[in-house]
Amino acid sequence: MRVDKLAVEDFRNYGKAATDLAPGVNLVVGRNAQGKTNLLEAVHCLSGLGSPRSPDVALVRNGADAAVLHALVTRGERSLTLDMEIKPGRGTRVLVNKTPVSGARALGALTTSVFFGPDELSLIKGTPDGRRKFLDDLVVKLRPAREGLRREWDRILKQRNALLKSAPRGHRGELATLDVWDDAMCRVGASLTAARIEVLAALLPHARKRYEAIAGAGRLELTYLSAWVSRELCDQALVDPAATDERQLQEMLAAAVASVRARELDRGISLVGPQRDDAGVLLEATSQESTGVLDARMYASQGDQRTVALALKLAELDHLSEVTREEPILLLDDVFSELDPLRRSWLGEAVHDLGQTLVSSAEPGAIESAAADRVIEVVGGTLRDVSV
Amino acid sequence: MFAPPLQRLIDELSKLPGIGPKSAQRVAFYLLKVTPSEAGLLADSITEVKEKVRLCAVCFNVADEEICQYCRDSRRDSTVVCVVQEPPDIAAIERTREYQGLYHVLQGAISPIEGIGPDHLRIRELLERLRHPADGRPPATEVIVATNPNTEGDATAMYLERLLTPLGVRVTRLASGLPVGGDLEYADEVTLGRALGGRRQMGA
Ligand SMILES: [Zn+2]
Repeated sequence: MRVDKLAVEDFRNYGKAATDLAPGVNLVVGRNAQGKTNLLEAVHCLSGLGSPRSPDVALVRNGADAAVLHALVTRGERSLTLDMEIKPGRGTRVLVNKTPVSGARALGALTTSVFFGPDELSLIKGTPDGRRKFLDDLVVKLRPAREGLRREWDRILKQRNALLKSAPRGHRGELATLDVWDDAMCRVGASLTAARIEVLAALLPHARKRYEAIAGAGRLELTYLSAWVSRELCDQALVDPAATDERQLQEMLAAAVASVRARELDRGISLVGPQRDDAGVLLEATSQESTGVLDARMYASQGDQRTVALALKLAELDHLSEVTREEPILLLDDVFSELDPLRRSWLGEAVHDLGQTLVSSAEPGAIESAAADRVIEVVGGTLRDVSV
Repeated sequence: MFAPPLQRLIDELSKLPGIGPKSAQRVAFYLLKVTPSEAGLLADSITEVKEKVRLCAVCFNVADEEICQYCRDSRRDSTVVCVVQEPPDIAAIERTREYQGLYHVLQGAISPIEGIGPDHLRIRELLERLRHPADGRPPATEVIVATNPNTEGDATAMYLERLLTPLGVRVTRLASGLPVGGDLEYADEVTLGRALGGRRQMGA
């Protein structure tokens, strides 16, 4: 899939701006703080999953009450118009070919993209919630109908936490419903966890291949880290996700929840479940200094961590292409400057084998502009085609 | 700030559900333009609804007498009670013409975030009704839980199932087919009719 034309209104620092995009590599150049990242972010918003960086409220230009995106999109043989109005607090209105669509149907009808920027290092270095979001976003991108599952999980967790918080003050009536929320939590939590493990298992072979190609050596391992899912089930599920028994997960969560009941009532918050799980990223080192399997979060160099993060994102792209039979749009925000020359040239080559790509860079020489199909210059929220 | 009487009207209107400050202002200025008799009709209908419409003493549906039209109707099947969250849900189910039993309106759903627990709903009254049926009518043997198909509606249904099953009544829940995350009130007749036909026993 690709975006052929994009117009933005009141989006971040843009008043009104529009540009054509090439099917292949689009290089977005300009000095810092002119709106390069914002342009990539606008393309990402066309996927209906919001900003990769911040809450929707930040997307609207100061003083405006809504940000608007218009795009002409090609998917397979079909040409679609997308119109999107992002109104913080009021939600996002989506028109596909001028017809309103909503919910899971909208996500299925929109574009899919993979965003990689300097912040993506936090995928390795940061707190578990970034890795959970990565998995959960991918769960939804792969099967838009699961947006409902994710929403239901969030709602159940919020309701259960509200109930636990009210507990110590002795509302006996309300506490009578805790069993009900436990059941809901275990049922929906098991489904969400099974979906996450399935995604992780699917990513693993792609991530390994990409990591080896970028790093030249070494082996990447991914694991699902959880205080309530047994190690055996996690390991088995990563090898054969189809065999994951949701009922078994449900029982494990129920047992774990029962074991922390007293502490939960005491603390007034849910202490165990998918909301505390994590994805483990391990590197099997092959260098002279160290051997063995190391946790990439703690032991890898910044350069290696960046390589792992990039491998995960490209694995996401590979897996999405495989499942949806359409190549997602790749958005590479200011990543070339962070890579060493070897990895930079590898990535520069690799993007030519992918679908539509937008690459932003402050350094004109980051990727040879001759290698780009289109070069767009961003100056103070205006867009200009400067292709040679 | 507008003249105090106008500002007060705007403030009162903006307390209504689904009406923000902008709509409240629009409605207020519209009301300024209508004739006194038209405005009087609106004011009277608000007063009248508060005076004459109340909740049915049996099922908590809206009623213009002590007992609502469904509870009064002796042709309806008193062995089945359909539990809904709000009165408009009854109207939606009636439109299907699939259902001949009685109703019970909970006046909400369990939602700890909003501080709503079972004690805030008409659950005690439901239990009371099931234990002591109205004179001369056969007791309920089935309770159909028709709460909204969302997180709070589901939790309420699960809670009711646990509470009612020990009483020896059959507890059923509307079958899926309803849009998840929506309000029962807005479901179309076909979907709702099918859901009623396919209701299933809970915990089975
Ligand atoms: Zn009644």
